[in-house]
Amino acid sequence: MAEKLEDLNLPMTVVTRIVKEALPEGVSISKEARTGLAKAASVFVLYVTSAATNIVKNKKRKALTGQDVLDAMRDIEFDRFVEPLGEAFEQYKQVASVRKSGANKKKEEGDEVEIVEDD
Amino acid sequence: MSTPKTEKDLHLPLSRVKTIMKSSPDVEAVGPEPLYLVTKVTELFVIDLAKRAFKTSKANMLEYKHIAEVVQEDDTLDFLREIMPRKITVRQFKEIMNKKAAKGDHSEDESSDQSSEESSSEESSSAEETNEQD
Repeated sequence: MAEKLEDLNLPMTVVTRIVKEALPEGVSISKEARTGLAKAASVFVLYVTSAATNIVKNKKRKALTGQDVLDAMRDIEFDRFVEPLGEAFEQYKQVASVRKSGANKKKEEGDEVEIVEDD
Repeated sequence: MSTPKTEKDLHLPLSRVKTIMKSSPDVEAVGPEPLYLVTKVTELFVIDLAKRAFKTSKANMLEYKHIAEVVQEDDTLDFLREIMPRKITVRQFKEIMNKKAAKGDHSEDESSDQSSEESSSEESSSAEETNEQD
């Protein structure tokens, strides 16, 4: 849970790194721009989350699924992200299933592979 | 050990994204799939925003004003407008205020002009006096 207010913001250093990788080399990003991008990304997380939970509510379900997040993109008119996100989702599912079988093999060694679920 | 591809291409901390998602009133639990996708799309989003903002930059520099410009122009970014307003310089602000004043009534401006003239003439006359005394 969020204990401090900073916990509700994405770390600026990480956001800056992502942006720097995407822009041509040698582009400098002003401090205000860095703060702005990090803020924008944090607000975007909430925006997408709320769009996805709206879909869940309308379908009278409870749990949020990956497909809801994908469908939410169209609702908020970010159609341009549907394709790359769908591809990433497919990859994710593949890797997740490989890991699952890998985790079963490794169970004897007690070396458990954890998939992001911290509660 | 090599990191699996899905985690390698993710940079944003999943735990933080999860915390933000859970701060939304209707969200109770966040499974790994929606968490991954929200994180991924946030990366796509911030890259997209930065690239578009950089296009409006004439120098090799990305500044706040470039981002604010994109945000104010694109209606799908309406959710960011409050947190990313266009910023203006003091000079621009004064120009806007002057235009407003020119459109509105003039009496206030004139009276303040008069008073400043009066005080400046008083000062100069008193300065002259002291000079003469010397």
